[in-house]
Amino acid sequence: MEAPPVTVMPVTGGTINMMEYLLQGSVLDQALESLLHRLRGLCDNMEPETFTDHELVYLLKGQQGNPFILRARRSLSHPTSPWHLRYLGQPEVGDKSRHSLVRNCVDVAASHSLPEFLNEMGFRMDHEFVANGHIFRKGAMKIVVTKLSRILVPGNTENTERLSLSYLGGAECVGSCRPGHCVGGHAQLC
Amino acid sequence: MQREEKQLEASVESLISRVAHVKNALHSFIYKLENEYERLTWPSVLDNFALLSGQLNTINKLLKNEKTPSFRNQVIIPLLLSPDRDEDLAKLTEQRVPVFSHEIVPDYLRTKPDPEVEEQEKQLSAEAARIGPEVAQKQIQTLNKLCSNLLEKLNNPRDDRDAESAAMRQNKPSFNPADTNALVGAVAFGKGLSKCRPPGPVAPGHPGQGPMMSGGPTLQQVTIGGGSNQQAAMGGPVPPQQQGQPGTDELEEQNQTSCLVYLEERDKCGFRLFHETHINHASEGALGVGKKGGAVCLPGAHSFHSLRKL
Repeated sequence: MEAPPVTVMPVTGGTINMMEYLLQGSVLDQALESLLHRLRGLCDNMEPETFTDHELVYLLKGQQGNPFILRARRSLSHPTSPWHLRYLGQPEVGDKSRHSLVRNCVDVAASHSLPEFLNEMGFRMDHEFVANGHIFRKGAMKIVVTKLSRILVPGNTENTERLSLSYLGGAECVGSCRPGHCVGGHAQLC
Repeated sequence: MQREEKQLEASVESLISRVAHVKNALHSFIYKLENEYERLTWPSVLDNFALLSGQLNTINKLLKNEKTPSFRNQVIIPLLLSPDRDEDLAKLTEQRVPVFSHEIVPDYLRTKPDPEVEEQEKQLSAEAARIGPEVAQKQIQTLNKLCSNLLEKLNNPRDDRDAESAAMRQNKPSFNPADTNALVGAVAFGKGLSKCRPPGPVAPGHPGQGPMMSGGPTLQQVTIGGGSNQQAAMGGPVPPQQQGQPGTDELEEQNQTSCLVYLEERDKCGFRLFHETHINHASEGALGVGKKGGAVCLPGAHSFHSLRKL
């Protein structure tokens, strides 16, 4: 058996170019209640959902310039759900009047052997954190209010400490790339 | 007498038409609630309620009108009760009351409140009688004062009020920009989250730990397990490559990231040869094969190479 020839070539075709539009802000802990009330009223009418996620960020360092970053995320509240692997490109610089961040994004689901697979591929985990909070939905937009926690012992998601006394709020929308059309929504964060 | 009769008729007519308006408004509102539930917005629900409230208001005004005779003085006595279906009555009431019988009389011709309501009213009047006139008077005065205060606040828009509320909002800030930056930095590129390890030339000994972000490119050495780890035909089992071997120092000097791969080949005699090769990520834009120390990688060589740990 001969070693198969390995070449490095970009994968072309077969994918839709999805762009992520993102707005972020933060609120102090004492303002969290009123923010949640407002979001409950502004967003789609559904039971408020909480989530607890563990996100790991993997880096692949090459000699040329920027390392390649992949984000792997799993739910701690639903341990049997598949992992979520995400690639986020560089933010698009263009329209100065557009407040939201626009970048290319590729999302896939993965099985539970994802960390080992990424390690075998050559990725190294750069950092990890635990995010838990509330998630709302408004049409195609996803609005989250999260509390970020640092993991003190690598791999141990029980032992965490909060990063700051604020909650991170974000509104994001994923849509296909259409030049000149911004699918950003309005989410006033306090 | 006749004038009163005429008045009575006119007021009953107008009352009937007002009540018909309320009925129609209620009907459309209920229809909307039941059928267009998903599309309904709170402002339109409020509009419906406002409409009903307005219509009830006009009915109240009509009843208070001095031209309206007091309906309390009129008595309605059923003259004929029959269990038979009455078509005219059914048509008049849109099929809601098809039979004018004994069952419907207590409900439709009721003048006293329901028994439960009567009970509650009796309790309330007993309570009122119990507390005494002075206490009652004081309570009435407090209520009047509260209401007038509230009315005054609502009716007189004051510029001070906007300043007050702005000042209150300033006193209690709801966000901290430094926190925003910290959180966004943490999510976007791990600011404050990367594990702090003292930077050094030696690669970390345990597999799976993060590389050092600070400083220049650091060494990573990975073994690719799986299919290429085939047992040697002549030698012993292939020992798995471990990181942190002394051979890594030379590689660090070259400052490359590399993967260790076992390539299998067959020579002229059909013996399987194993080469340890380093695959460098940088060379010429494609995966290349480099040399390291004593490990010679010559595809197509006809000699045995012993397996060596690097």
